[in-house]
Amino acid sequence: MPVGTQGTLKGITPEQLECLGCQIMLNNTYHLGLRPGQELLDVCGGAHVFQGWNRNLLTDSGGFQMVSLLKLAEITEQGVQFESPHDGSLMLLTPEHSMSLQNSIGADIMMQLDDVVSSLTTGSRVEEAMWRSIRWLDRCIKAHKKPETQNLFAIIQGGLDIELRKKCVEEMVKRDTPGYAIGGLSGGEEKDKFWRIVTLCTDLLPREKPIYCMGVGYAEDLVVCVALGVDMFDCVFPTRTARFGNALTAKGTLSLRQAKYKDDFKPIEEGCGCIACTSYTRAYLHTVVTKETVGCHLISIHNTSYQLRLMRQIRQSIIEDRFPQFIREFFKDLFVEKTAYPEWAVNALRSVNVDLLK
Amino acid sequence: MSPLTFNIIRQSTQLPAARRGTVVMATHASSSSSSSSSTSDKEPVESTSNCTKRVIETPGCFMYSVKGSVPHLTPDTLRLQGLDFILLCDIRDWSHYTKLPPNSDRYISMMTHQGVRQLTLEEYFKIVRAYEPDIIATFADSISDLDQLHPPLSVNDGGGGQLVEPAGHGLKRVRKSVDRSLKWLDLILRERQGFDAMAEDRMLEEFKKKIKKEKDQSTTTSNISSSNSSNVGIVAGSNDRLQNGVDQVMQETKNLNLEGASTLEIKQLQQQQQEGKPTKRPWMNVSVFAHVVGAQLEQERIRSAQETANRQGVDGFIIDTLTLSGSKEQVLSLLKVSIDHLPAEKPRLVYGMQTPEDVLKSVALGADLFDTSYPFQLTEDGKASMFSFGTPSITTTTTSSSTDNKTSMNKRWINLWDDEHSDKFIPLLEGCECYSCKGGRHTRAYLNHLLKAHEMLATVLLMSHNMHQYSEFFANVRQSIQDNTFEQHSALFVQTFGTEPERTSQIHVAQAEVEAALARRSRLNGDSDDDVHGAKSTTIAAQEKKLQKEKMREARRAKHKEEGLKKRINKKEMTSEKSQEELKEHEALEESGEKL
Repeated sequence: MPVGTQGTLKGITPEQLECLGCQIMLNNTYHLGLRPGQELLDVCGGAHVFQGWNRNLLTDSGGFQMVSLLKLAEITEQGVQFESPHDGSLMLLTPEHSMSLQNSIGADIMMQLDDVVSSLTTGSRVEEAMWRSIRWLDRCIKAHKKPETQNLFAIIQGGLDIELRKKCVEEMVKRDTPGYAIGGLSGGEEKDKFWRIVTLCTDLLPREKPIYCMGVGYAEDLVVCVALGVDMFDCVFPTRTARFGNALTAKGTLSLRQAKYKDDFKPIEEGCGCIACTSYTRAYLHTVVTKETVGCHLISIHNTSYQLRLMRQIRQSIIEDRFPQFIREFFKDLFVEKTAYPEWAVNALRSVNVDLLK
Repeated sequence: MSPLTFNIIRQSTQLPAARRGTVVMATHASSSSSSSSSTSDKEPVESTSNCTKRVIETPGCFMYSVKGSVPHLTPDTLRLQGLDFILLCDIRDWSHYTKLPPNSDRYISMMTHQGVRQLTLEEYFKIVRAYEPDIIATFADSISDLDQLHPPLSVNDGGGGQLVEPAGHGLKRVRKSVDRSLKWLDLILRERQGFDAMAEDRMLEEFKKKIKKEKDQSTTTSNISSSNSSNVGIVAGSNDRLQNGVDQVMQETKNLNLEGASTLEIKQLQQQQQEGKPTKRPWMNVSVFAHVVGAQLEQERIRSAQETANRQGVDGFIIDTLTLSGSKEQVLSLLKVSIDHLPAEKPRLVYGMQTPEDVLKSVALGADLFDTSYPFQLTEDGKASMFSFGTPSITTTTTSSSTDNKTSMNKRWINLWDDEHSDKFIPLLEGCECYSCKGGRHTRAYLNHLLKAHEMLATVLLMSHNMHQYSEFFANVRQSIQDNTFEQHSALFVQTFGTEPERTSQIHVAQAEVEAALARRSRLNGDSDDDVHGAKSTTIAAQEKKLQKEKMREARRAKHKEEGLKKRINKKEMTSEKSQEELKEHEALEESGEKL
């Protein structure tokens, strides 16, 4: 799911996104709540109408901002008090308020407000956050005004502690939400710990419900997590790195700002059907990237196209029952040498009977 | 021989100079480049066997592009405008005036993203052959009285009220600029036909180097006067000048007792010149538009226009009004002087006439082609154009904010930064068929939000809209010339929409707030705004720092380059003194050596 935080995918039009085959996009409740604000969204009929997006939307609760803007936030049982970075005013984000905002935004999938702690945090804070998230989930379910049209997902917390995670899953599954997310990861923790938590959750969560791993990520992360049982992802990485002139391909990242692309007359990626690859060469993009907004847009489109295509290929290979083969080919393309394969990925895949080093 | 033809379809009966026409580009063997380019509005491509015909309807405009792309518009968004591509290349940016260091006989100064550069004719030819644009603009010794005033200036400031009356360029300098531009034009036209126009120049340069080398090594004292030694400032061009240059070189070689072989080479070259055999590939698919200069002096403008028009092989003319100082009326009268002395049957491209009323006035004088700097400027300001020509403007809610008189009085555009648009869920312009407005997909409220959220989509949508509206404007102008209603509609336009308020560097209040908030936030955080689930935000921050460092490094490099070039220019004047000094030094060393 590409991330269009403020009601837009940073320079890409909704039509362009549709052309890429994108079915669902992410918006951020915190930001949309500040601007344009709840009232305006109610007037116009929700974020779909507001940004001209006719397909699906998923909204984050605003909870992650707690971690990223922690210097300005105070967390209590009631909710999260932010000091707005825009104008310094105080904003209290309670589960009820988050639900209300998300109802106004009208996304097809909503996320509960959870008490997020950084995955690097240790100690009792982690447990406190886990229990509070469960309590907030109950408050969210109660405050959710449109359960027939909007799906509320629960978010599993518990940090990197196996027992806490187990407990959290056990409790949240009782609430029987339409889907579940694995939260509190992708905060810079060791990858080897990361995958173990992911696989733990996917083992325990109900099979017939979608599982969404938040904040993932890089291409290899996506592939591994799918192997572990995850269904949905979101990440700002492809669009953000595009703005720095980095193009993602199956063979690795091209830093198009580098002089070596000055006379490289190939498209970014052979076989990619996006507008950047069908119209321009790397050499041309080298001249405009980071200098003109068009360069930004083109790489963003390509990176989004790349990720969506990757997921399409994954789906197809699962349907055709050749997913393990796909994984092996994918890693070979990306890393070339078996010695370069990240150890955590090898371990993770081994745990589901895919041997990368064969 | 030229791929470009111009046909006048209709001359206006009311304003006899205004005309409706078509510029037809017939190019052979598609050069399918993957880069897009400056464009003009027209009908789709029709290809007949090997030859593709592309038509520009005039009055019309070329789309302003930077680095081969129209600002903010990716090719798919661009194509939705219903346009096709014809490429015109010029050396300087014609959307706004920039002060640049003066030109010389051998080069003109130009601005690149890495700073100022000197472009020689030799390099220019290489570029033309590599790019193969449909139309190339000639080298022009563009001088401006605006140079004398405090830089940088926007076009509308043109002279400013509070500044001292500029001294202006004198007759001598203006004459030189006309002569230079003509000389360059002649060289370009020769190169175009397949002659190696820079051959003599190159050879003379080589000889100059040889001579200098010989002089440095020579131990015999010679009676070379310092003025003759290396200031052989020849511009290979007209034959008598060449002859002078050659004579000087011959003299030098005699003085230094060089081998007779070198003089033989020169003689051979001269012979080749007389025989007139092209040695290179002529420009098959490239047309030439010649700049017509003359600064503020009427007589020189006339001379430039007439002389340029006399040259064989010029396909069109460019009159650059960006460099002209004075009031709008003064500038228009200078434009008129030039156009009046240009042949009717060739198209005229005008730079610097950007606002709709300026376009109308210029069309009335006989201009055919313009550029799209105006819609680009509107977009950068957060404005969406509302004006129309000919057809009555669809009533829209006029801005009623009393805070800023300038923006509220006219109906020609709305500023999407204005708060009043924040809850208007209507398209930018009702009935507009542009990408942003069509089907009511995007609203004023959304645009207002995008601007305040500092999102790039704002400029994409605004650019689409403004470009489309500008195209429509031109289409309507063409129609009114066809229907003989041009004069009425022009008057009606000025009545309804007034004149463009002066564009200042002041930004909208709301924009200032947003930028201040962003600055504040980046000081507090370091993470960027859209950190939903930021993966590796620390490395992103590091990347951003790296980027900043790079930018600073580039700026430093550009500065050094500029200084280095300046030194080289000064060096030329100093070498005469230096060579004498060196000679003395050399002699001194010799003496001391002998003594030892």
